[in-house]
Amino acid sequence: MPKRLFSVGLLTLGLTLTLGTAQAQSGILKLPLINDPIMNPVIAPDLGSVLINKVIFPGLVRPNEDLLPEPDLAKSWTITNAGLVYTFILRNDVKWHDGKPFTADDVVFTFKAATDPKSGSRLVSDFSSIKDVVAVNPTTVRFTLSRPFAPFLTLLGHNAGILPKHLLEGKPLNDATAFNRSTPIGTGPFKVTRVVPGASITLEVNKDYYGTKPKLAGMVFKVVPDINAQVAQLRSGELDWVNVEPNNLASLQNDPNITLKQANAVQHFLVFFNQKNPLFAPAKVRESMQYAVNRKAIIDGVLKGYADYPTGTLPTALKKYYDKSIKPVQYDPARAKALLAQAGWKPDAKGQLVNAKGEPFKFTLIVDRGNPSREQAALAVQQDLKKIGMDVTLQPLEFATLVRDYLLPGKYDANLIWWTTPPDPDQYSFYATGQDNNNAFFSNPKADELLKRGRETADVAQRQKIYNEFQRLEMTNPPVLVLYYPKELQAIRKNLSGVPDLGIRDALRHSEDFQLK
Amino acid sequence: MTLSYLLKRVFHALIVLVMVGIITFFVVRLAPGGPSLLADPKLSAVERQAIEERLGLSDPLPVQFAKWAGQTARGNLGNSFLYGAPTVQIIMTRLPNTLILAGTSLLLTLAVALPLGLASGLRPGTAFDRITSTVSLVFVAVPVFWFGLLLIILFAVTWRILPAGGMNTAGLEGSLPDLLRHLILPAVVLSAASIAEIMRYTRSSTRTVSTLDYVRTARAKGVGDLALRYRHILRNAAIPILTAVGLQLPRLIGGAAITETIFGWPGMGRLSVEAALGRDYPLIMGITLFVALAVVAFNLLIDLLYPWLDPRVRAEA
Repeated sequence: MPKRLFSVGLLTLGLTLTLGTAQAQSGILKLPLINDPIMNPVIAPDLGSVLINKVIFPGLVRPNEDLLPEPDLAKSWTITNAGLVYTFILRNDVKWHDGKPFTADDVVFTFKAATDPKSGSRLVSDFSSIKDVVAVNPTTVRFTLSRPFAPFLTLLGHNAGILPKHLLEGKPLNDATAFNRSTPIGTGPFKVTRVVPGASITLEVNKDYYGTKPKLAGMVFKVVPDINAQVAQLRSGELDWVNVEPNNLASLQNDPNITLKQANAVQHFLVFFNQKNPLFAPAKVRESMQYAVNRKAIIDGVLKGYADYPTGTLPTALKKYYDKSIKPVQYDPARAKALLAQAGWKPDAKGQLVNAKGEPFKFTLIVDRGNPSREQAALAVQQDLKKIGMDVTLQPLEFATLVRDYLLPGKYDANLIWWTTPPDPDQYSFYATGQDNNNAFFSNPKADELLKRGRETADVAQRQKIYNEFQRLEMTNPPVLVLYYPKELQAIRKNLSGVPDLGIRDALRHSEDFQLK
Repeated sequence: MTLSYLLKRVFHALIVLVMVGIITFFVVRLAPGGPSLLADPKLSAVERQAIEERLGLSDPLPVQFAKWAGQTARGNLGNSFLYGAPTVQIIMTRLPNTLILAGTSLLLTLAVALPLGLASGLRPGTAFDRITSTVSLVFVAVPVFWFGLLLIILFAVTWRILPAGGMNTAGLEGSLPDLLRHLILPAVVLSAASIAEIMRYTRSSTRTVSTLDYVRTARAKGVGDLALRYRHILRNAAIPILTAVGLQLPRLIGGAAITETIFGWPGMGRLSVEAALGRDYPLIMGITLFVALAVVAFNLLIDLLYPWLDPRVRAEA
């Protein structure tokens, strides 16, 4: 009896393995998400949602390979009234996924919602410069800004996908659960056909798409929360593209079916020094940190070389605005000590830095827990600062706790964090006095003036000059200690081609060019 | 088993649920940090305030508790922060997936652990007994995370005979063979530790029972080997085993967080991890109450099964 049962079991298993082997439909691109997305670009809170929204909801413009805005739903635009009025001529051949025509009213509806905090919008800050938006006619939209705002066009192509007025008018966007979770309607090259909660979102080609006909047969976004499982699925062919961390590289480098690509990420990883703390108020102290921390060792050791060495807060990805001629500050602990001595900090008999009153240079560095790269970078910073006589305690915290209980109320000494910004040099909200995201409480009148002029100047050549000057100012009066500009590490199966040389979020807005051989 | 006894048990269960609800509410709300929706350092003060108002977090904590308790008493567990849909609805979409995985794991556990535990309990000290004991020790000790990834690398990456994760191949939802292929690895991983545990209980319980006089008598009377094992020995050894199985069930229903996360299985376990990481208060409360209810219900069920298995318990009841 048990033997017979065993035989039946084995037979069933064998049949399962053979019958159940799915013939993968060719031409379906499979990408991972870590959780169920919100398929609504105006309220999407996380990167996963942003990625799928790029495919479903085009914006008025999109970034090209130089990260500059190119036409998308808008055919062309004019900027008048000293940069206060933007008039967009829209395409007239666009249909929503449900067949209804796309018009200027949809654009007006989207930006009315995006600028209203009560709607649940996550784009309020991005578009706070909008004073008014009107539909001049079905194919013309006019934005009037309250102040000149140079990043406006870039932001339109960053996260601002256009929503259908006919489906969402009259209620807060967060309440449109069915639309946001299972039946989104956009104008993009792919449309959602099936959502399995917690498992996958399947998209098929939108035959009415106004742009180049997509070369893929469809897309599947699979929910795979664990990065190790994502890497395993990439290797087994169940995923086609996974963005990885440097510590995942070892398991991928020898796989003949996988290509590793680097893309420029518009990010800078940094340490805030809370300038409300008298320790960090003097510019000399913050300048000394640049010499005290061996950032090359962090880039080589922790990031396996996949990052650029920093000079200020503008990352190298902003090619047009990044000043390559500025000499980077190299690791030089002796110079760091000399600068600290000028600021009144000298080593005592034990080598500990103390001030004239004999008080030690003592502070706590916080970092979010769970990301190996950031934790190791924080450890390296702590060790380097200890070497020059600072008493640094490292405190890893859960990210939500770090933000809510430490960063926002300003109850911290130093904090390792990162900023991901749109592909524009505007950093006013991060480093201008009293701004929402200036968590380091940096305040410098010259920097304020440059940052204000930078966001108000439309002329590219003039903007370059302004931001180059800001970058130079940061070398001697750094608002923060920038550690590195990371690269986005893309592990892609070799049979996927047509991917532009961009980070994944911008590349996905060109998904009609992707091809699987 | 009288009606009054049953009613008393149900009343106790309600008290347990109320206590669990109150304690969980305050522990979760008073913990550091907050909902992940608010954890974006780039949010402006205006955006942050709008989110807090929408989630009902701008009231003082006692007011929030009163609102939550009133809602819950009326059977409304509120809307999930992360999903924007009713908590009950979200739990119900994930529960069947967990039941499929948990049910398969339980069947696998019983099918492997009972015969092996019985066999080694009847032959203590033999090579077979030593091997099964050692293997079970290994399975108890091996971290689920490591074991899961090992199986994925072997079966999905190296040999390519089973999928690395998920519940279905996209486009093949509803196909039973496809579901079974996806089920094999997570079910094996999930049942590995349970098999080891139940096997050890079965072994020790069998050893104790098989030395009793009535077994010797039955053997002397010529009772067949199979009948002796399953009707005489296993039935008497079943009470501690049943208790152990009863302890496994709520864990399985509550979801196997690590297994479901590694294999991308869309069940309750992964949902509870998402809820905890996202500090989705309504969802955390909903899942906690649901699992508490399952624990209470299973305990009651096990208590009801004891007298059926053992007439001596029936007489006491």
